[in-house]
Amino acid sequence: MGQSLPIETPPKPTQQRMDSANLLENKAVVVTGGSRGIGRSIVLTLAAQGADVTFLYCSNKAAANETLAAAAELSGTVKAKRVDVRNAESCEQAIDEIAEDAGKIDILVNSAGIIRDNILGLLTNDDIQEVLATNVVGVFNVLRPVIPYMVSKRRGKIINISSVAGEKGGRGQTNYAASKGAINALTKALAVELAPRNILVNCVAPGVIETEMTEAIRQQAGDVVKSRILLGRFGQPEDVANVVLFFASSLSDYVTGQVLHVDGGFKMS
Amino acid sequence: MTQSDFTAEEIAAVFPKLAETMAEALGCDEEEITLTASLIDDLDAESIDFLDIVFRLEKTFKVKIPRGKILEDSRGPLSESEFEQNGVVTSAGLAQLKAYLSEVPAERFKTPLNVADIPRLFTPETFLKLVIKAQREQAGAAQ
Repeated sequence: MGQSLPIETPPKPTQQRMDSANLLENKAVVVTGGSRGIGRSIVLTLAAQGADVTFLYCSNKAAANETLAAAAELSGTVKAKRVDVRNAESCEQAIDEIAEDAGKIDILVNSAGIIRDNILGLLTNDDIQEVLATNVVGVFNVLRPVIPYMVSKRRGKIINISSVAGEKGGRGQTNYAASKGAINALTKALAVELAPRNILVNCVAPGVIETEMTEAIRQQAGDVVKSRILLGRFGQPEDVANVVLFFASSLSDYVTGQVLHVDGGFKMS
Repeated sequence: MTQSDFTAEEIAAVFPKLAETMAEALGCDEEEITLTASLIDDLDAESIDFLDIVFRLEKTFKVKIPRGKILEDSRGPLSESEFEQNGVVTSAGLAQLKAYLSEVPAERFKTPLNVADIPRLFTPETFLKLVIKAQREQAGAAQ
């Protein structure tokens, strides 16, 4: 076998949204963690397809307002709700309010997530508990009140955002990797449970995406990480959002229980 | 709680809407929803249907029914270990269950009874009692 040729000039990111198709007209969507990063891009991408999106955010009101402002010209509507996904009662109340308002919930995107990276020996109890509380328990807290609305309508789409770390965790990511591996497993089990009610459950596992959350890792080990990405570049939030759009739309009506890696080939390297 | 704990007015006020709601959830004719029909054996309900039924009843009657309420209530004053051992309902548990699910004919209580099989005993009346109880609690709380 010969040595593979390096990609000398990485292809440029597309950073394009499919704004004209209206794939999600009249769909009521909930996106958690929608004020920043990948979550914000998902909100804008789905709203650009005509969806009426309510996004949940934990604390950063300024960022939430930026998302709302960015959505002003889109064909769908975008609303924000301040909810801490770690609180089950708050989630239930928020979901009931959204469903009362929209009359239904068609699509849920679980995108809220945090990192507290450190090598295992130096992780504090809080580092472990907080990551699991937001990234895993938070997903359960939102799923539980949403699912009855979908079951009663006999349809729905659930898209969980995990991470390439769920299968290929790096140094200092044991807590985060465990939380995202849990989401991959949850996705597959829930897909089995809900398929008889025509509710499809899939997962998008991003690689290193250029967001605030990955800034530290990109600064510390950017070149090393990039050298392991087949496409030779970090991803953009839109790269992830476009795949979420696929799972949210009728284009994926025969797909459930899948974990799709959006990592430029990182997992393969 | 037995049926005699409820007034005829309460049952008459709840049952027609309950039957309609359950028929929608189960995709069956309303006439098939009788008070004593076994939801699983006669009406082909699955566990996810119970979630759907409770959710629809909450919306229809504007009451709150906590998840797992039937099983919790059916245990009565017994502790978990008094009610069941290794997934099998104890004799004390069975007596309690028969009292709670008084609407269920005695021959449907198989022994030994696995906890996992308790939902096989549920009938529309089981849910009727839940709704009336939730209505009473809500009315009590509002006073």
